[in-house]
Amino acid sequence: MDYTNQIREIASKLFAEGKIDVFVGYRMTGFDENQVPALIRDPNEVSKLVFTDKSVFNLTNYLKQDHTRNKRIGMVVKGCDSRALNLLLTESQVKRENLHIVGIPCKGVVDENGNKMQNCIECIFPNPVVFDEMVDGTPTGSEAPPYQVNTDIQNIAAMDLVERRAYFEEVFESCIRCNACRHSCPMCYCAKCCIDQETSTLYHGANTTSSAFHALMTWSLHLAGRCVDCRNCEKACPSHLPLHLLHKWNEQVIYENFQEHLAGVHEGDRGAFYKYSMKDPDDFIM
Amino acid sequence: MEAAVNNQLVSIEKPEIVAPPDWEPVIIGILCNWCSYAGSDLTGTSRIQYPPNIRIIRVPCSSRVDPWFLIKSLQTTADGVLVSGCHPGDCHYISGNYYARRRFLVTKKLLNFVGFHENRVQFSWVSAAEGPKFAKVVAKVTEDIKKLGPLHLYKKENFEK
Repeated sequence: MDYTNQIREIASKLFAEGKIDVFVGYRMTGFDENQVPALIRDPNEVSKLVFTDKSVFNLTNYLKQDHTRNKRIGMVVKGCDSRALNLLLTESQVKRENLHIVGIPCKGVVDENGNKMQNCIECIFPNPVVFDEMVDGTPTGSEAPPYQVNTDIQNIAAMDLVERRAYFEEVFESCIRCNACRHSCPMCYCAKCCIDQETSTLYHGANTTSSAFHALMTWSLHLAGRCVDCRNCEKACPSHLPLHLLHKWNEQVIYENFQEHLAGVHEGDRGAFYKYSMKDPDDFIM
Repeated sequence: MEAAVNNQLVSIEKPEIVAPPDWEPVIIGILCNWCSYAGSDLTGTSRIQYPPNIRIIRVPCSSRVDPWFLIKSLQTTADGVLVSGCHPGDCHYISGNYYARRRFLVTKKLLNFVGFHENRVQFSWVSAAEGPKFAKVVAKVTEDIKKLGPLHLYKKENFEK
Protein backbone atom coordinates (compact mmCIF):
# COMPACT_ATOMS: atom_id res chain seq x y z
CA MET A 1 0.00 0.00 0.00
CA ASP A 2 1.94 3.03 -1.23
CA TYR A 3 -0.02 6.06 -2.44
CA THR A 4 2.70 8.65 -1.91
CA ASN A 5 2.84 9.86 -5.52
CA GLN A 6 -0.91 10.09 -5.96
CA ILE A 7 -1.28 12.09 -2.73
CA ARG A 8 1.49 14.52 -3.70
CA GLU A 9 -0.18 15.04 -7.10
CA ILE A 10 -3.59 15.64 -5.55
CA ALA A 11 -2.18 18.04 -2.95
CA SER A 12 -0.29 20.09 -5.59
CA LYS A 13 -3.41 20.20 -7.74
CA LEU A 14 -5.54 21.43 -4.83
CA PHE A 15 -3.02 24.14 -3.92
CA ALA A 16 -2.76 25.20 -7.58
CA GLU A 17 -6.52 25.46 -7.89
CA GLY A 18 -6.64 27.45 -4.63
CA LYS A 19 -9.15 25.09 -3.08
CA ILE A 20 -7.37 24.59 0.25
CA ASP A 21 -5.35 26.50 2.84
CA VAL A 22 -3.92 23.45 4.64
CA PHE A 23 -3.29 19.90 3.55
CA VAL A 24 -3.22 17.35 6.35
CA GLY A 25 -1.29 14.17 5.56
CA TYR A 26 1.66 12.16 6.78
CA ARG A 27 5.42 12.76 6.61
CA MET A 28 8.43 10.74 7.70
CA THR A 29 9.72 11.46 11.19
CA GLY A 30 13.16 12.09 9.67
CA PHE A 31 15.02 9.80 12.07
CA ASP A 32 13.32 6.42 11.69
CA GLU A 33 10.90 4.51 9.47
CA ASN A 34 7.77 5.76 11.25
CA GLN A 35 5.46 8.53 10.15
CA VAL A 36 3.91 11.51 11.86
CA PRO A 37 1.07 13.82 10.83
CA ALA A 38 2.05 16.76 8.64
CA LEU A 39 0.17 20.02 8.17
CA ILE A 40 1.30 21.42 4.83
CA ARG A 41 0.56 25.11 4.15
CA ASP A 42 3.19 25.82 1.52
CA PRO A 43 2.71 24.24 -1.96
CA ASN A 44 6.50 23.80 -2.18
CA GLU A 45 6.46 21.44 0.78
CA VAL A 46 4.10 18.96 -0.85
CA SER A 47 7.05 16.66 -1.52
CA LYS A 48 7.19 15.95 2.23
CA LEU A 49 3.93 14.00 2.03
CA VAL A 50 4.00 10.21 2.10
CA PHE A 51 1.48 7.44 2.49
CA THR A 52 2.39 3.82 3.19
CA ASP A 53 1.11 1.15 5.54
CA LYS A 54 2.92 2.99 8.38
CA SER A 55 0.47 5.89 8.15
CA VAL A 56 -1.30 4.88 11.32
CA PHE A 57 -2.72 8.04 12.88
CA ASN A 58 -6.27 9.23 12.48
CA LEU A 59 -5.88 12.72 11.04
CA THR A 60 -9.46 13.86 11.69
CA ASN A 61 -8.19 14.73 15.16
CA TYR A 62 -6.68 17.88 13.58
CA LEU A 63 -10.07 19.19 12.46
CA LYS A 64 -11.05 20.20 15.98
CA GLN A 65 -8.02 22.34 16.68
CA ASP A 66 -7.96 26.10 16.52
CA HIS A 67 -5.39 26.37 13.76
CA THR A 68 -7.48 24.25 11.39
CA ARG A 69 -10.96 25.27 12.46
CA ASN A 70 -12.67 27.43 9.80
CA LYS A 71 -9.81 26.88 7.34
CA ARG A 72 -10.22 25.11 4.03
CA ILE A 73 -8.61 21.74 4.56
CA GLY A 74 -7.50 18.91 2.33
CA MET A 75 -7.21 15.68 4.27
CA VAL A 76 -6.18 12.08 3.75
CA VAL A 77 -8.63 9.59 5.28
CA LYS A 78 -8.68 5.83 5.60
CA GLY A 79 -11.85 3.82 6.27
CA CYS A 80 -11.94 4.29 10.05
CA ASP A 81 -10.89 7.95 9.81
CA SER A 82 -13.74 8.64 7.40
CA ARG A 83 -16.22 7.24 9.90
CA ALA A 84 -14.86 9.65 12.52
CA LEU A 85 -15.17 12.43 9.97
CA ASN A 86 -18.74 11.43 9.22
CA LEU A 87 -19.63 11.64 12.91
CA LEU A 88 -17.92 15.02 13.25
CA LEU A 89 -19.96 16.25 10.27
CA THR A 90 -23.16 14.84 11.77
CA GLU A 91 -22.40 16.47 15.11
CA SER A 92 -21.78 19.83 13.36
CA GLN A 93 -18.15 20.05 14.43
CA VAL A 94 -16.79 20.68 10.93
CA LYS A 95 -18.20 22.28 7.82
CA ARG A 96 -18.41 20.00 4.80
CA GLU A 97 -17.82 22.88 2.38
CA ASN A 98 -14.45 23.58 4.04
CA LEU A 99 -13.19 20.06 3.43
CA HIS A 100 -11.66 18.31 0.50
CA ILE A 101 -11.42 14.67 1.49
CA VAL A 102 -8.93 12.39 -0.21
CA GLY A 103 -10.00 8.79 0.36
CA ILE A 104 -7.60 5.84 0.64
CA PRO A 105 -8.78 2.30 -0.16
CA CYS A 106 -7.07 1.02 2.97
CA LYS A 107 -5.53 -2.42 3.16
CA GLY A 108 -4.64 -2.15 6.83
CA VAL A 109 -1.82 -0.38 8.66
CA VAL A 110 0.99 -1.90 10.70
CA ASP A 111 2.32 -1.23 14.19
CA GLU A 112 5.93 -0.42 15.14
CA ASN A 113 6.94 -4.07 14.80
CA GLY A 114 5.54 -4.39 11.28
CA ASN A 115 2.56 -6.53 12.32
CA LYS A 116 -0.86 -5.66 10.99
CA MET A 117 -2.90 -3.84 13.64
CA GLN A 118 -5.62 -5.90 15.33
CA ASN A 119 -8.37 -3.44 14.43
CA CYS A 120 -7.30 -3.63 10.78
CA ILE A 121 -7.59 -7.42 10.84
CA GLU A 122 -11.13 -7.05 12.19
CA CYS A 123 -11.95 -4.04 9.98
CA ILE A 124 -15.36 -4.06 8.31
CA PHE A 125 -15.15 -0.78 6.39
CA PRO A 126 -11.66 -0.41 4.86
CA ASN A 127 -12.98 1.96 2.16
CA PRO A 128 -13.92 5.53 3.18
CA VAL A 129 -17.63 6.15 3.60
CA VAL A 130 -17.26 9.87 2.81
CA PHE A 131 -14.79 11.36 0.31
CA ASP A 132 -14.41 13.87 -2.53
CA GLU A 133 -11.93 11.85 -4.51
CA MET A 134 -10.25 8.49 -4.14
CA VAL A 135 -6.54 8.06 -4.85
CA ASP A 136 -7.15 4.81 -6.69
CA GLY A 137 -10.43 5.39 -8.50
CA THR A 138 -13.81 4.66 -6.95
CA PRO A 139 -13.67 1.59 -4.71
CA THR A 140 -15.57 -1.49 -5.73
CA GLY A 141 -18.51 -1.77 -3.34
CA SER A 142 -18.07 -5.09 -1.62
CA GLU A 143 -20.55 -6.34 0.96
CA ALA A 144 -19.44 -5.60 4.52
CA PRO A 145 -18.50 -8.80 6.37
CA PRO A 146 -20.55 -9.64 9.48
CA TYR A 147 -19.74 -8.20 12.89
CA GLN A 148 -17.08 -10.18 14.77
CA VAL A 149 -16.83 -10.40 18.52
CA ASN A 150 -13.35 -9.36 19.61
CA THR A 151 -11.35 -12.29 21.03
CA ASP A 152 -9.73 -10.21 23.81
CA ILE A 153 -13.21 -9.35 25.04
CA GLN A 154 -14.26 -12.98 25.05
CA ASN A 155 -11.22 -13.96 27.10
CA ILE A 156 -11.84 -11.30 29.73
CA ALA A 157 -15.58 -11.83 29.90
CA ALA A 158 -14.91 -15.51 30.57
CA MET A 159 -12.97 -14.67 33.77
CA ASP A 160 -14.80 -14.62 37.08
CA LEU A 161 -15.57 -11.40 38.92
CA VAL A 162 -12.52 -11.33 41.19
CA GLU A 163 -10.13 -12.06 38.31
CA ARG A 164 -11.68 -9.33 36.17
CA ARG A 165 -11.48 -6.91 39.08
CA ALA A 166 -7.81 -7.75 39.58
CA TYR A 167 -7.06 -7.42 35.86
CA PHE A 168 -8.67 -4.00 35.53
CA GLU A 169 -7.22 -2.78 38.80
CA GLU A 170 -3.78 -3.31 37.26
CA VAL A 171 -4.89 -1.46 34.14
CA PHE A 172 -6.17 1.55 36.08
CA GLU A 173 -3.13 1.51 38.38
CA SER A 174 -0.71 1.88 35.48
CA CYS A 175 -2.54 4.89 34.04
CA ILE A 176 -0.54 8.09 34.54
CA ARG A 177 -3.47 10.43 33.79
CA CYS A 178 -1.66 12.21 30.97
CA ASN A 179 -5.03 12.38 29.12
CA ALA A 180 -3.29 11.52 25.84
CA CYS A 181 -6.15 9.10 25.06
CA ARG A 182 -8.65 11.91 25.26
CA HIS A 183 -6.54 14.41 23.33
CA SER A 184 -5.83 11.90 20.57
CA CYS A 185 -9.46 10.85 20.27
CA PRO A 186 -11.13 12.43 17.23
CA MET A 187 -14.52 12.14 18.90
CA CYS A 188 -13.53 14.12 22.03
CA TYR A 189 -13.93 17.80 21.21
CA CYS A 190 -15.56 19.40 24.27
CA ALA A 191 -13.79 22.64 25.20
CA LYS A 192 -14.10 21.72 28.87
CA CYS A 193 -14.06 18.05 29.79
CA CYS A 194 -15.88 16.70 32.83
CA ILE A 195 -13.07 14.30 33.67
CA ASP A 196 -10.76 17.23 34.36
CA GLN A 197 -12.55 18.08 37.55
CA GLU A 198 -10.70 15.22 39.23
CA THR A 199 -7.43 17.04 38.69
CA SER A 200 -8.77 20.50 39.29
CA THR A 201 -8.21 20.69 43.03
CA LEU A 202 -5.38 19.87 45.35
CA TYR A 203 -7.78 17.86 47.43
CA HIS A 204 -8.59 15.22 44.87
CA GLY A 205 -5.02 14.65 43.79
CA ALA A 206 -3.91 14.16 40.23
CA ASN A 207 -2.74 10.63 39.68
CA THR A 208 -4.49 8.00 41.71
CA THR A 209 -6.04 4.71 40.69
CA SER A 210 -9.37 6.20 41.67
CA SER A 211 -9.01 9.19 39.37
CA ALA A 212 -7.81 6.96 36.53
CA PHE A 213 -10.85 4.74 37.01
CA HIS A 214 -13.09 7.79 37.00
CA ALA A 215 -11.48 9.29 33.92
CA LEU A 216 -11.27 6.18 31.75
CA MET A 217 -14.72 4.88 32.63
CA THR A 218 -16.39 8.25 32.10
CA TRP A 219 -14.49 8.76 28.88
CA SER A 220 -15.39 5.35 27.47
CA LEU A 221 -19.05 5.73 28.43
CA HIS A 222 -19.22 9.14 26.80
CA LEU A 223 -17.80 7.49 23.66
CA ALA A 224 -20.10 4.48 23.76
CA GLY A 225 -21.88 4.20 20.43
CA ARG A 226 -19.55 6.83 18.93
CA CYS A 227 -16.17 5.08 18.98
CA VAL A 228 -14.99 4.29 15.45
CA ASP A 229 -12.26 1.87 16.60
CA CYS A 230 -9.35 3.81 15.04
CA ARG A 231 -7.28 3.09 18.20
CA ASN A 232 -5.62 6.48 18.22
CA CYS A 233 -5.95 6.27 22.00
CA GLU A 234 -3.93 3.07 22.23
CA LYS A 235 -1.27 4.39 19.86
CA ALA A 236 -0.98 7.53 22.02
CA CYS A 237 -0.98 5.80 25.41
CA PRO A 238 2.50 5.94 27.00
CA SER A 239 1.59 3.10 29.38
CA HIS A 240 0.22 0.89 26.60
CA LEU A 241 -3.09 0.38 28.36
CA PRO A 242 -5.55 -1.94 26.57
CA LEU A 243 -8.05 0.86 26.10
CA HIS A 244 -9.79 -0.92 23.25
CA LEU A 245 -11.22 -3.40 25.77
CA LEU A 246 -13.57 -0.79 27.20
CA HIS A 247 -14.65 0.50 23.80
CA LYS A 248 -15.06 -2.89 22.18
CA TRP A 249 -17.04 -4.14 25.15
CA ASN A 250 -19.44 -1.20 24.87
CA GLU A 251 -19.66 -1.77 21.13
CA GLN A 252 -20.50 -5.41 21.71
CA VAL A 253 -23.16 -4.65 24.33
CA ILE A 254 -24.74 -2.08 22.02
CA TYR A 255 -24.64 -4.50 19.10
CA GLU A 256 -26.15 -7.40 21.03
CA ASN A 257 -28.88 -5.44 22.76
CA PHE A 258 -29.85 -2.67 20.36
CA GLN A 259 -28.71 -4.20 17.05
CA GLU A 260 -26.70 -1.03 16.44
CA HIS A 261 -23.05 -1.00 15.66
CA LEU A 262 -20.33 0.82 13.82
CA ALA A 263 -20.62 4.50 14.49
CA GLY A 264 -20.34 6.96 11.64
CA VAL A 265 -21.12 4.65 8.75
CA HIS A 266 -24.29 6.47 7.72
CA GLU A 267 -24.45 10.22 7.41
CA GLY A 268 -26.86 11.71 9.93
CA ASP A 269 -26.60 8.70 12.27
CA ARG A 270 -25.56 10.04 15.67
CA GLY A 271 -25.02 6.69 17.36
CA ALA A 272 -26.93 4.37 19.64
CA PHE A 273 -27.47 6.79 22.52
CA TYR A 274 -29.26 9.39 20.41
CA LYS A 275 -32.19 7.14 19.57
CA TYR A 276 -34.32 4.49 21.21
CA SER A 277 -36.63 1.64 20.43
CA MET A 278 -39.69 0.34 22.26
CA LYS A 279 -38.10 -3.10 22.04
CA ASP A 280 -34.96 -2.20 24.00
CA PRO A 281 -34.26 -4.73 26.77
CA ASP A 282 -36.10 -3.91 29.99
CA ASP A 283 -35.59 -7.07 32.03
CA PHE A 284 -32.73 -5.64 34.13
CA ILE A 285 -34.99 -2.88 35.50
CA MET A 286 -37.18 -3.57 38.53
CA MET B 1 -25.03 -15.50 46.70
CA GLU B 2 -23.52 -14.23 49.92
CA ALA B 3 -19.91 -13.19 50.15
CA ALA B 4 -18.86 -14.79 53.41
CA VAL B 5 -15.59 -16.36 54.58
CA ASN B 6 -15.50 -18.08 58.01
CA ASN B 7 -18.96 -16.66 58.74
CA GLN B 8 -17.64 -13.13 58.26
CA LEU B 9 -19.13 -10.84 55.66
CA VAL B 10 -16.51 -9.88 53.05
CA SER B 11 -16.51 -7.66 49.98
CA ILE B 12 -17.49 -9.82 47.02
CA GLU B 13 -15.04 -8.12 44.67
CA LYS B 14 -12.17 -8.25 47.18
CA PRO B 15 -12.60 -11.25 49.50
CA GLU B 16 -9.64 -10.10 51.62
CA ILE B 17 -11.67 -7.15 52.91
CA VAL B 18 -13.86 -8.06 55.89
CA ALA B 19 -16.87 -5.94 56.76
CA PRO B 20 -16.93 -4.46 60.29
CA PRO B 21 -19.63 -6.08 62.47
CA ASP B 22 -21.77 -2.94 62.53
CA TRP B 23 -21.38 -2.24 58.80
CA GLU B 24 -24.40 -0.79 57.03
CA PRO B 25 -24.35 -0.13 53.29
CA VAL B 26 -24.66 3.37 51.87
CA ILE B 27 -26.90 3.50 48.83
CA ILE B 28 -27.23 6.54 46.60
CA GLY B 29 -30.73 6.82 45.16
CA ILE B 30 -31.05 8.99 42.06
CA LEU B 31 -34.74 9.61 41.51
CA CYS B 32 -36.60 11.44 38.77
CA ASN B 33 -38.57 14.44 39.93
CA TRP B 34 -41.89 13.55 38.34
CA CYS B 35 -42.43 9.89 39.25
CA SER B 36 -39.97 8.24 41.58
CA TYR B 37 -39.29 11.23 43.81
CA ALA B 38 -43.05 11.76 44.19
CA GLY B 39 -43.37 8.01 44.75
CA SER B 40 -40.82 8.12 47.56
CA ASP B 41 -42.70 11.09 49.00
CA LEU B 42 -45.88 9.02 48.95
CA THR B 43 -44.07 6.20 50.73
CA GLY B 44 -43.19 8.63 53.50
CA THR B 45 -46.61 10.27 53.77
CA SER B 46 -48.22 6.81 53.77
CA ARG B 47 -46.00 5.95 56.78
CA ILE B 48 -44.49 2.94 55.01
CA GLN B 49 -41.14 1.91 56.47
CA TYR B 50 -38.14 1.46 54.23
CA PRO B 51 -34.45 0.99 55.05
CA PRO B 52 -32.67 4.24 55.96
CA ASN B 53 -29.55 3.23 53.97
CA ILE B 54 -30.65 5.17 50.90
CA ARG B 55 -29.58 8.79 50.30
CA ILE B 56 -31.82 10.39 47.76
CA ILE B 57 -30.78 12.81 45.02
CA ARG B 58 -33.48 14.39 42.90
CA VAL B 59 -32.92 14.86 39.16
CA PRO B 60 -35.31 16.36 36.58
CA CYS B 61 -35.57 13.14 34.55
CA SER B 62 -33.93 9.73 34.48
CA SER B 63 -32.23 10.75 31.24
CA ARG B 64 -30.48 13.49 33.25
CA VAL B 65 -28.46 10.66 34.83
CA ASP B 66 -25.10 10.66 33.14
CA PRO B 67 -23.15 7.41 33.62
CA TRP B 68 -20.67 9.75 35.25
CA PHE B 69 -23.01 10.15 38.26
CA LEU B 70 -22.85 6.43 38.95
CA ILE B 71 -19.08 6.38 38.62
CA LYS B 72 -18.71 9.37 40.93
CA SER B 73 -21.03 7.77 43.49
CA LEU B 74 -19.17 4.46 43.49
CA GLN B 75 -15.88 6.34 43.77
CA THR B 76 -16.91 8.18 46.93
CA THR B 77 -19.29 6.92 49.59
CA ALA B 78 -21.63 4.52 47.88
CA ASP B 79 -21.69 0.74 48.25
CA GLY B 80 -24.45 0.68 45.68
CA VAL B 81 -26.56 2.94 43.49
CA LEU B 82 -30.26 2.87 42.70
CA VAL B 83 -31.56 4.87 39.76
CA SER B 84 -35.29 5.19 39.39
CA GLY B 85 -37.52 6.92 36.88
CA CYS B 86 -40.96 6.92 35.31
CA HIS B 87 -42.38 3.82 33.68
CA PRO B 88 -41.79 3.60 29.92
CA GLY B 89 -44.44 5.72 28.23
CA ASP B 90 -45.00 7.90 31.32
CA CYS B 91 -42.01 10.22 30.96
CA HIS B 92 -42.83 13.86 31.70
CA TYR B 93 -40.57 14.75 28.78
CA ILE B 94 -42.18 12.14 26.48
CA SER B 95 -39.14 9.98 25.76
CA GLY B 96 -36.40 10.72 28.33
CA ASN B 97 -36.58 7.33 30.01
CA TYR B 98 -36.23 5.48 26.71
CA TYR B 99 -32.90 7.18 26.10
CA ALA B 100 -31.92 6.56 29.72
CA ARG B 101 -32.75 2.85 29.47
CA ARG B 102 -30.10 2.31 26.80
CA ARG B 103 -27.48 4.18 28.78
CA PHE B 104 -28.30 2.28 31.98
CA LEU B 105 -27.80 -1.08 30.30
CA VAL B 106 -24.42 -0.12 28.82
CA THR B 107 -23.28 1.43 32.12
CA LYS B 108 -24.32 -1.60 34.13
CA LYS B 109 -22.60 -4.00 31.75
CA LEU B 110 -19.39 -1.95 31.64
CA LEU B 111 -19.19 -1.69 35.43
CA ASN B 112 -19.70 -5.44 35.64
CA PHE B 113 -17.01 -5.93 32.99
CA VAL B 114 -14.37 -4.04 34.99
CA GLY B 115 -15.14 -5.96 38.15
CA PHE B 116 -18.18 -4.58 39.99
CA HIS B 117 -20.88 -7.07 40.95
CA GLU B 118 -23.92 -6.57 38.76
CA ASN B 119 -26.13 -5.78 41.77
CA ARG B 120 -24.02 -2.75 42.76
CA VAL B 121 -26.00 -0.59 40.37
CA GLN B 122 -29.70 -1.22 40.02
CA PHE B 123 -32.52 0.44 38.17
CA SER B 124 -36.26 0.61 38.69
CA TRP B 125 -39.37 2.24 37.31
CA VAL B 126 -41.52 3.67 40.11
CA SER B 127 -44.52 5.89 39.41
CA ALA B 128 -45.83 8.64 41.69
CA ALA B 129 -48.65 6.34 42.81
CA GLU B 130 -46.42 3.41 43.74
CA GLY B 131 -45.43 4.21 47.33
CA PRO B 132 -45.45 0.56 48.46
CA LYS B 133 -43.42 -0.46 45.41
CA PHE B 134 -40.75 2.12 46.24
CA ALA B 135 -40.45 0.68 49.76
CA LYS B 136 -40.10 -2.81 48.29
CA VAL B 137 -37.49 -1.70 45.78
CA VAL B 138 -35.37 0.01 48.44
CA ALA B 139 -35.68 -3.01 50.71
CA LYS B 140 -34.59 -5.34 47.92
CA VAL B 141 -31.63 -3.17 46.86
CA THR B 142 -30.48 -2.81 50.48
CA GLU B 143 -30.75 -6.54 51.03
CA ASP B 144 -28.84 -7.28 47.81
CA ILE B 145 -26.03 -4.92 48.71
CA LYS B 146 -25.81 -6.17 52.29
CA LYS B 147 -25.01 -9.59 50.82
CA LEU B 148 -22.26 -8.16 48.60
CA GLY B 149 -20.37 -6.57 51.47
CA PRO B 150 -18.64 -3.18 51.48
CA LEU B 151 -17.35 -1.76 48.22
CA HIS B 152 -13.62 -1.14 48.31
CA LEU B 153 -12.83 -0.47 44.69
CA TYR B 154 -11.29 2.73 43.36
CA LYS B 155 -12.37 4.70 46.42
CA LYS B 156 -10.88 8.15 46.77
CA GLU B 157 -8.14 8.26 49.36
CA ASN B 158 -8.92 10.03 52.61
CA PHE B 159 -12.55 10.28 51.67
CA GLU B 160 -14.55 10.16 54.86
CA LYS B 161 -18.02 8.71 54.87
